[in-house]
Amino acid sequence: MANIPVLIVILPLAAALLCLVLTAIHERLGLWAVGLASLASFVLSVMQLITVAREGTIHYCIGGYAVPYGIEFVIDSVNACVLVMISLIGFLTVIFAKNFGERIGRMQRGAGYAVLSLLITGLLGMTSTGDVFNLYVFLEITSLSAYCLIALGGSKGVVSAFRYMLVGTIAATFYLLGIGVLYAATGTLNMGDMSDILDKGGYDHVMLVSMCLLIVGFGIKMALFPFHGWQPSAYTHAEPGTRPLITGVMGKIPALAMFRFIFCVFGTDLIYVRFLLVMLGVFSVCGMLYGSIMAMGQSDLRKVLAYSSVAQIAYISLGFAIGTPTALAGSFIHMLAHAFMKGGLFFCTGAISYKFGTYSLDDLGRIYKKMPLTCGLLVVAALSMIGIPPTAGFFSKWYLALGAAGAHYWVYLAVLVISSLLNAVYFFKLIEKVFIQPSKDLDERWSAGEFELPVSIVLPVVVCFAAILAIGIFNVRIFDFLMMTLEGVGL
Amino acid sequence: MRKALTVILLVIVLTVPFVFFDILPVIGDPDSAPNSHVSDYYIEHAVEECNSPNMVTAVIVDYRAFDTMFETTVMFLAGIAVMLILAEHPKRKLMVPTRVRRLNVHEGSPVYRTVNKDVMVSVIQVLILIYAMYVLFHGEVSLGGGFQAGALIGMTYLLDVMVCRREQPLFRTTKYKAGAIAGLGPLLYAVTGMIPFIGGGLYLQYGKMPFAIHEAELHSIGITSVEIGVTIGVAATIITIINALTERIVFDDEI
Repeated sequence: MANIPVLIVILPLAAALLCLVLTAIHERLGLWAVGLASLASFVLSVMQLITVAREGTIHYCIGGYAVPYGIEFVIDSVNACVLVMISLIGFLTVIFAKNFGERIGRMQRGAGYAVLSLLITGLLGMTSTGDVFNLYVFLEITSLSAYCLIALGGSKGVVSAFRYMLVGTIAATFYLLGIGVLYAATGTLNMGDMSDILDKGGYDHVMLVSMCLLIVGFGIKMALFPFHGWQPSAYTHAEPGTRPLITGVMGKIPALAMFRFIFCVFGTDLIYVRFLLVMLGVFSVCGMLYGSIMAMGQSDLRKVLAYSSVAQIAYISLGFAIGTPTALAGSFIHMLAHAFMKGGLFFCTGAISYKFGTYSLDDLGRIYKKMPLTCGLLVVAALSMIGIPPTAGFFSKWYLALGAAGAHYWVYLAVLVISSLLNAVYFFKLIEKVFIQPSKDLDERWSAGEFELPVSIVLPVVVCFAAILAIGIFNVRIFDFLMMTLEGVGL
Repeated sequence: MRKALTVILLVIVLTVPFVFFDILPVIGDPDSAPNSHVSDYYIEHAVEECNSPNMVTAVIVDYRAFDTMFETTVMFLAGIAVMLILAEHPKRKLMVPTRVRRLNVHEGSPVYRTVNKDVMVSVIQVLILIYAMYVLFHGEVSLGGGFQAGALIGMTYLLDVMVCRREQPLFRTTKYKAGAIAGLGPLLYAVTGMIPFIGGGLYLQYGKMPFAIHEAELHSIGITSVEIGVTIGVAATIITIINALTERIVFDDEI
């Protein structure tokens, strides 16, 4: 039981490594292995969440070496929540992805599942680790598998994956340069140890330089506003089966890593911290407005959601820019909520394209009659994006607004409201298409079975629906749980 | 002009912090933080704790073995990414074959006319493979290790593909089989890491493996097993990439 933190990461890895061999034996075995491993990972992360709630932060030293010499996993209450989110969406994506890509060969499908499982591994590892270089290794695994999955989405996918690869490699270099500067000054790679050494003082210039490099690096990876150029096309043309994981989770984990560096490693005593946070705040404010405005002009459903992601990621970094514990908790609740909202919306687009083969907004007229369950999730996720009370999106924005008001950042508060109204414009357009516009004749590609779609698509849709409402209803418990960690680290 | 401006701006932004802020230590300074904080511990304890005469090996596959495991996985991932993305497009039948004139036996540089490549290559391949085994199992003591040994084995395959005719290869496989084997190497690594669980240890804690021998020997077993995993992974990945790429190319002697 003591080995749960590392097993969560190792099980999807082992499944990915075995996947090709198993697929060579039987067509379905690889898929089963990957699915079971991600399910086991989800169960273990729930158990870990309960342990963290009872006993506090878990420190797990790999290899049994003392802290600065070996690699350490640190699971606090923030990590534990995010791990549950990643492994749940990962599992749903694996069973969702089995409906797509019939045309490619058997071994290639097996390899595709292996890459998907490695993406889950990378995301889980980046969340768990407490070592800066280990984080880089997981960042590499995440990025490489994401390039591969985006490139699998056809010829446009290859081009957007290539763009992402060029930009993403630069981001990885910036990150490496940032931790290189830190290592040169402190001589350690462990986050906790580094934080202790930096607290002794005299490292202001080092911290300023490395923080600028790290903000650029993570900014590119999470598609924060001025660095978001790769994101819309990559999200649009990614392989349809794996799109929910890529769009829903991949952008959030670099944000979590950025939080670790700003608030846990550097701490808030740094004299330049205000300057850095204001810089982050300016990026976020521009991103929130830009993403929402760009999303209004798109006619492809995927593009609308991709640009909306630019705005939604900026909400998370806005919470960091405010920096009080309440705002940080708002950020993390938004991280959890947005993963299910955006993941859910992309499950919906995947389902619609599976049934009707279209992504265009104009084809969605009165589609609710044909696909009631999918449209239920579409509406709940859209309302949550706008921020209507019982859903998760309202509460995350509420805590962000509470934090902004508490720290007297009135500009942030105003932009938060304006951005929500802009969200309302394009999501009500979507809802209008779904319920009011006259229906079009679309040829159904799938019409067997008792549900509107295969069970492996209905299940992710239903789980996302439940998760959005559950995060909204139990927001106080999640907030209290997150505050266990955040109380000590905020401004 | 705008591009030049961007480049100048970038150079200034990247150099100013490093030149004026004095944030990097002097090369070889024994008192700098990287040389005095963690390094001292490794120098004093590595040989004793890990039973490896080579301190670099001790750090790579014992203290920071978890990183190395995922670096090997990155190799595997690169292999299957090449297999997935490059292998199938464009389809072989859609490719335009280039007309290449075949060299006759008496053509080419006079030095090579006297060497019978079919005979020589079988000697060279065996020597490279022996050297690869030496690098693998001696890496604990001297320079070398799993990555280099894997690269040597992969190079033998590359030599085989380049030189030998299709009818008489040393060893040929398909890209899918090679990819499957490439996964088994890191898997051996990951499973080696899990064996200490049985003895009540933590992940990759070689000293807690459930075998009744001295702890130092257990470290040796763990390090060797991990290095074998790395070798298999790297070699099979190189073979996968070679196979995936050669399917897209028409060689001179195939026309």
